[in-house]
Amino acid sequence: MSVRHREWPVALALTPALILILAPFVWLVVSSFKTEAEIGQADPFTWPADLMWRNYLDAWQIGGFGELVGNSLINLIGVVALSLITCAPAGYALAKIRFPGREWLFYAFILGLTVPVQAIVIPLYQVLFGLNLVNTLAGIVLVQVSNGIPFGIFLMRSFFIGVPDDLIEAAKIDGASHLQILTKVFLPISTPAVQALVIISALSTWNDFFLPLIVLISPEVQTLPLGLVRFASTYASDYRLVFSGTVISFLPIILLYILMQRRFTEGLTQGAIKG
Amino acid sequence: MLKFLARSTALAAMIAASSLAHAETLKMWGPEQITEPLVAQLWNGIKADFEKANLGVTVEFMPPTGTISNGAVQAAIQSDAGPDVILTNSGIGRISVVKNAKQVMPLTEQYEKRGWKDQIYPWLYTELKGQFGGEIYEVPDGLDALGIWYHKDIFEQAGWKIPATWTEFEALLKSIGETGLQPIAIGPRTTGSAGHLFGNLLQSASGKEVIGKALRREIAWDDPSVAAGAVRLQKLVEAGDIRKEMAGLDLDGASRLWFNKRAAMFVAGPWFTANARKAGYDLANAGYAPMPSDIKGAAIPTGGVGWSWLVPVNSRQPELAMKWIDFMLSDAVMKKRAQDPASTMIYPREIPGVEPPTPVLKDIFAAAAGGVGYNPSVYLPGPVLDTYFQVIQGLISGQIGGEDGMKQIQAKMAEAK
Amino acid sequence: MVIPETPGSKVVAPLRDAPAVAGHTGGLSVRMSKRRTTGAATSDSSAGDARTALWLMAPALGLYAVFTLLPIAATFWLSFNSSAGFNTSASFVGFDNYAKAAHDPIVWKSLVHTFLWLAYHVVMAGGLGLLLALAVSRLRITQVFFRTAFFLPHLVSLAVVGVIWANIYDPFFGLLNTALTRIGLGAFTQGWLSDPALVLFSVNIASSWQGFGLYMLLFIAGLQNIDRSLYDAAEVDGANAFQKLIYVTLPGLREVTTFVVSLAMINGLKGFATVFVMTNGGPFYQSELITTYIYRLAFQSQDHGLAAVLCILLSLLAITITIVFNRWRARLSQ
Repeated sequence: MSVRHREWPVALALTPALILILAPFVWLVVSSFKTEAEIGQADPFTWPADLMWRNYLDAWQIGGFGELVGNSLINLIGVVALSLITCAPAGYALAKIRFPGREWLFYAFILGLTVPVQAIVIPLYQVLFGLNLVNTLAGIVLVQVSNGIPFGIFLMRSFFIGVPDDLIEAAKIDGASHLQILTKVFLPISTPAVQALVIISALSTWNDFFLPLIVLISPEVQTLPLGLVRFASTYASDYRLVFSGTVISFLPIILLYILMQRRFTEGLTQGAIKG
Repeated sequence: MLKFLARSTALAAMIAASSLAHAETLKMWGPEQITEPLVAQLWNGIKADFEKANLGVTVEFMPPTGTISNGAVQAAIQSDAGPDVILTNSGIGRISVVKNAKQVMPLTEQYEKRGWKDQIYPWLYTELKGQFGGEIYEVPDGLDALGIWYHKDIFEQAGWKIPATWTEFEALLKSIGETGLQPIAIGPRTTGSAGHLFGNLLQSASGKEVIGKALRREIAWDDPSVAAGAVRLQKLVEAGDIRKEMAGLDLDGASRLWFNKRAAMFVAGPWFTANARKAGYDLANAGYAPMPSDIKGAAIPTGGVGWSWLVPVNSRQPELAMKWIDFMLSDAVMKKRAQDPASTMIYPREIPGVEPPTPVLKDIFAAAAGGVGYNPSVYLPGPVLDTYFQVIQGLISGQIGGEDGMKQIQAKMAEAK
Repeated sequence: MVIPETPGSKVVAPLRDAPAVAGHTGGLSVRMSKRRTTGAATSDSSAGDARTALWLMAPALGLYAVFTLLPIAATFWLSFNSSAGFNTSASFVGFDNYAKAAHDPIVWKSLVHTFLWLAYHVVMAGGLGLLLALAVSRLRITQVFFRTAFFLPHLVSLAVVGVIWANIYDPFFGLLNTALTRIGLGAFTQGWLSDPALVLFSVNIASSWQGFGLYMLLFIAGLQNIDRSLYDAAEVDGANAFQKLIYVTLPGLREVTTFVVSLAMINGLKGFATVFVMTNGGPFYQSELITTYIYRLAFQSQDHGLAAVLCILLSLLAITITIVFNRWRARLSQ
C-alpha cells in the first residue's frame, strides 16, 4: 500500500531524532577510550589520541567486575525466577477464581505500585536486619521481588483475564484442579506476558542502585552499579574507569534486549494493553 | 585404610593450618582512591609491612562506596558485615553523626594507654579532647589546609601576585576578569568544595577567633561580624567575579576550568595534588597562598581534621584495629607516606627530616605551620551542615543574600542540640 | 492504573461483544466486568476455591506483606516519633513531626517541584514516546532498528544517566553549550543546572530521555491494535493524513494513552536518582523533590521522624493522584 512509499522519507525524518537521542551514548563511548587527562580537557568533540582499551581492562580488574557481574547475574536470575513463581499463580487467582475479598486484595497489591521504595527504606532495612538478611544477595532478591509484585501481578492478571473462561470449564470437566489449570493450560499460552515480566524484572534489577547501596556492603556480594561508585571518592573520580565501567555494565543488558525484543513488545502489547 | 587415614589427617592438618593462617582478617574501609594505581601501590606496601610484622594477619581493603555525609559509612557499620576499622572523611561535624548513632567506639583510653596522645600535635589532642566532653572517637590521619591555588606562569606573565589584604585582592579579581579569565572557579555541587571557598571567605572577613565563637554558639551566625564573609560572597557574585553558572558545577567541573587554565584561582587543599596528577597538570606550576585578609594575622589557610580512623562498635577485630592504628601512627609508616608521590595531605604530627615530594605541598605545609583557621564544614553539626551547603549554593546562584543566608544557618544552629 | 479496553483487539471475539465496563481500572476502584465474574464455579467448590486461591497467592502475599506492607505500616508509626537513626531510641511525639512538616517551607517547595516534575515527565517522556511511535510504526524494513535504537536509553541506569547528562550540561565544557556555540547559537547557552528557573526542567529532560522508550513501545503496540478498516473508511470519506490522525489514530489510542499517562505519573512521582546525582536538590532547594528531601532528612540530617512524615505524604499523593485520575478518566469516557 502507500505505507511502503512512506518508509524512506520517514526514516530520513527520524534520523536527526536518532542522532540527538543517541548522542549521549556516542559521547560516553568515545570518552571511555580517552585518557584521564584527555577527559579532563573536556572538549566533547575531540577524538581520543589513542584508543585506550586499557581503560576497560583496568575497570574490570580494579573494579573487581568479574565478581560484580557474577553477583548481578545471581541477583537477576533470583529475581526473575521468584517473580514468576509469585506473580503467575497470584495473577491467576485474582483473575479466574472467585473468592470473598478478592477486590480488596487486589487493591492492597496495587498500593505497592504507588509507594516508591525511598518512602519505606528505613523500616525495610530494619526488617532485613531483623531477618539477618542484610548484606546478602538473598535479602536483596526478596526485597526487589516484593517491589515488583504489584506490577507483576497486574501484568499477569490482565493477561489471564483475557483468556476465555471456556478453557477453565473444559479443564474442570476433565477434573483438573486450579493448579493444574494454571500450569497445564494457562502458562503455556502466556509466553508473551511471561517474557514481558522477565524483561521488565531483569531490567530493573540489573540497574538497581539505591537498594544495593544500602543493603550490600561487602565486596563479595555487591552488584555492578556499586562497582561504578568505587571509582569515585570525596574529591576526585576516575572518570576513565567510570565511563568504561558503565559501558561494560550495559553491554549484557543491551544484548539481552536485542535478543528478546520482539517477544518483549508482544508481551507488553498483550499483557498491558489488552483488556 | 592407612592411606585413607594418612590422607584425611593431612587434609585436616591443611585445613587447620590454613584456618590458623586466615585466623585473623582485618577489614579496613578505605582508602579512597585505591582504584588509582599510585595509591594502590602505596597502600599495598603498607599492608604488606603490617602483615609481615603481624604473622597470621591478613588485611583486606573495602573500597568505600561513599562517606559519612552520604550515609555509606553508617550503612556499612550497620550491616554487621562491615569493616573492623574505618578511614574516612571526618571532622567533628561528621564524627558527631556516627557518635550520636552509637556506631563508633570511644578511643580516649587508647590515647592514654597506647600513647597516641603523644603522637599527634599537642594542639590537635587538646582540640579533640574538647569536642565531646573529654571523649575522643577518632584518630586523625590527615589534616586539611585550604587556600588559593593559582597558576604560577599566568601570574608571572601578567605581573600578578596574591596580595596580603582583601582590598587589594578585590582589585586583583577585577584585573583578572578584564583579561577574560574566570577569576575564581567553584564547584558548589560538591558540598565540601563549596565549604572550602566559603570557609576561606569567613576566615578572611572575620578572623579565627570570631568564627571559633560562632562555631561554639557564642555569637549568632547572622551577627554582622560573622555574616561579613557571606556578604562578601554575595558581592563577588554580583560583581561577576564568580559566575552564577558555576552553581551547577561540581568539584570536577570547577577543577576542569582551573586545569585548563580558564580560571585563575581555585580554593583547595593538599589533596588537590591527586586531581592535578590525574588531569596531567604540571604541579611545578601550581602556586598556593592563603586568602588575603584585611585583619592582621587572619590570612591563613582554613582547615581542620580531614580524614580520621574510626573503630566501629561492632568491629570484629578491635584489638587488631588498635594495633593497625599504632602502626599507622608509627614513624616508619608516616615517613613512608609523607615521602610517597601519592601523598596528599598534612600529617597529624610533625615529621622531621622529610621533604614533601611535590613543591606545592611544601608551600602548603609552610602556610599551615603557623596554625590554620576553622573550616566550618568540618565543625558544624549534621543538620546544620546541610543548610550551610545549600545556602552557599544559593549565594552563588544569586538566589539569596549574605545576611538572609546566615539567618537561615543561625536558625538551624539554634535548633540543633 | 488503568486496564484499558482495546477496540479491535485480536483476542477472542466474545470480549468485544461483552458489556464490559469502560472504567475498567486498577488502582483503588477496580470493577470487574460482569461477564468475567461469571464463573461456572459450582457452590460446593467455592470454599475449596477460596482455599486454593489463598494457596496460589501465598508466596506473593507473604513476601509482599513482609517487605512492603510491614515497612509501610512501620513508616506510618515512625512518623509519630522523633528518631535520629537506627541505634537511637525513638520517642513518641504525636503530631509534632506533622506540624513541623506543615511549617517547613522546603516541604511546600518540594511539593510544588514534585508536581512540576510529574507534569514535565508526562508531557516530555509521554509526548516524545507518542511522537516517535507515530513515526516508527509507519516503518516496515527499518522499524526494528529504530525501535531498538530509541529504546537504548531506557536500558541505562538512572545514576549513570545523571552522570552523563551532568557532563552534557556543564556550562563551560559540556556537549550542549559547546555545540550551541560552535554552530553560532552561543547566545542560547545557559546555566542549565544553575539557573533556578531551568534546573528542574533540565534534569527532567535527562530523566525523560531515559524514560520515553517504554512509552514509545506501548504506543507502538497500541497503534498496531487500531483496526485498519477504520483508516480505509476515513480514506473513502476523503480524509487527509492530518484528519486521519485526529479522527482515527488519537481516539484509537485513548486507552493506551490513559495507561501511559498513569504509568508516567507514577514513575514521575518516584523520580529520585537523576535529581540526586545531578543536583542533589540544589542549587538552594530549587530542584528539591519530595523524594530527595526524604533522603536528605533521613541520611544527612538524621531526622527520621520528619522523613517518615514525608514518606506518608508521598504515598498519599500517589494514591490520590491515581484515584482522581481514574475518576476523571471514567467521567471522560461517558
